Amino acid sequence: MIDIRDLSVVFGSGRLRVEAVKGLSMRIAEGESFGLVGESGSGKSTVLRAICGLAPVSAGTIAVAGKPVPVPRNRAFFATVQMVFQDPYGSLHPRQTVDQILSEPLAIHRLSDRDRRIARALADVGLGSSFRFRYPHQLSGGQRQRVAIARALILDPRVILLDEPTSALDASVQAEILNLLERLRAERRLTYILVSHDLAVVTHLCDRLLVMRNGETVEETDTEHLRAGKAETAYTRALMKATEGFTRAAPASTE
Amino acid sequence: MSEQKPLLEVENLNVRFHLRTGTVEAVRGVSFSLGRERLGIVGESGSGKSQTGRAILGLTPPPGEVTADRLTFDGIDLLSIPRRQLRNLRGGRMTMVMQDPKYSLNPVMTIGDQMIEAYRAHRRAGRKEAREKSLEMLEAVQMRDPARVFSLYPHEASGGMGQRAMIAMMLVTDPDFLIADEPTSALDVTVQQEVLRILDRLVAERGMGLIFISHDLRLVSSFCDRVLVMYGGKVMEELAAGDLDAARHPYTRGLMNCLPALEGSAHPLPTLERDPAWTQ
Repeated sequence: MIDIRDLSVVFGSGRLRVEAVKGLSMRIAEGESFGLVGESGSGKSTVLRAICGLAPVSAGTIAVAGKPVPVPRNRAFFATVQMVFQDPYGSLHPRQTVDQILSEPLAIHRLSDRDRRIARALADVGLGSSFRFRYPHQLSGGQRQRVAIARALILDPRVILLDEPTSALDASVQAEILNLLERLRAERRLTYILVSHDLAVVTHLCDRLLVMRNGETVEETDTEHLRAGKAETAYTRALMKATEGFTRAAPASTE
Repeated sequence: MSEQKPLLEVENLNVRFHLRTGTVEAVRGVSFSLGRERLGIVGESGSGKSQTGRAILGLTPPPGEVTADRLTFDGIDLLSIPRRQLRNLRGGRMTMVMQDPKYSLNPVMTIGDQMIEAYRAHRRAGRKEAREKSLEMLEAVQMRDPARVFSLYPHEASGGMGQRAMIAMMLVTDPDFLIADEPTSALDVTVQQEVLRILDRLVAERGMGLIFISHDLRLVSSFCDRVLVMYGGKVMEELAAGDLDAARHPYTRGLMNCLPALEGSAHPLPTLERDPAWTQ
């Protein structure tokens, strides 16, 4: 479904030149859920932004559904690929109601039958019709993220790019959103790329994953391998350890 | 060690905000005591965990009202002492590390100048002594080049560096008691470990009391000696960190179960069922 070859993203030039992504390749099959893991500055979000045309591609190719992506991205592209951002507090327009937020993609794509589509999208993400005319500040963090997911789903895309969709949420709300994402993928055969710094979240939702650091691929592996303790690089093992909680480096300091 | 007289005693602590729309009870009847140990307070947003920490230091924002049957630090009644004395205590013998170094450091002062200011506000010392002490502290938080970090402005430091600088600043006065409010939530998992390890070592070496506030139950239980679980402003359960598996309260169990685990977790994840009776 998605085929990325030797992707490089460079920001700035001369002394300010930053290579955010260096020669990254990955292939994701239709209906697959793929994880991108790394710390901040590793370039994982930049990969998603490059797919959407929000970051400059300086080398390499990106193909979606067998065709190279158009530059600039056209409407047909966004009807196939949609993105959900990290911060539900920042990604929804504060002066628009949920209804207006969900109407916008429909207006851009000139789709009819808006009323029914909005009602269905809200029902799909587990929000009742009573939420339809509320403003984002009248919603909790989890409800806002549900609206952001509804906005992505309303165009019936085949691929959804998820940029840290749960890192701004409480643990209990995170569980609800992860369950929602999993259910939607099963129902609609969606393809996911999930970016997260939390290995536990990625392994919960994805079968295959790629570990990134400083814009480079550290390791491409799958959940089975990780669970069996077969991480190949020290960096991945360090990430795994960090996910399990705090470990005292020097046992002497514990009583 | 903690068998001695407790450092901090809190009995029936309440924090209320009288608003136009009615009274919000942020903290309701919280009681605990703290020796020279690490106590974790866990809860979701709105559980009152941060307000508990703030109330102890007298940092409850204005419309808020704090009442308690007992709130003492080393025998000093924190609710009745004059503000001036409280200010001396705060930042001197008891301090707080906040969540995000980006917002809690002064953006127009170098890290070094802020540390000198903090030190001299609580100790009679010249600039030179304060500078030496600050550099020493920056080294203690494992800054590779303390002199360079000393002259940086907060925006020039990375998240992990900023947070370590803040820890250094808070510990430069040799406090007895530290509140860390989500000190690592804004940091990467790998940096998080490093910062926690530094905090852990300093707390152990100096024999400080620590309250660690976080929403991450797994992290808290691996870092602290004891854990208080809060919900709706009340303490649901108090546990030894090692006994987390033996947690009895459904809320604690729910919090534990809803986290996905690396070793594999249920599909779909169990979600939290909240019982209104818990907050009665």
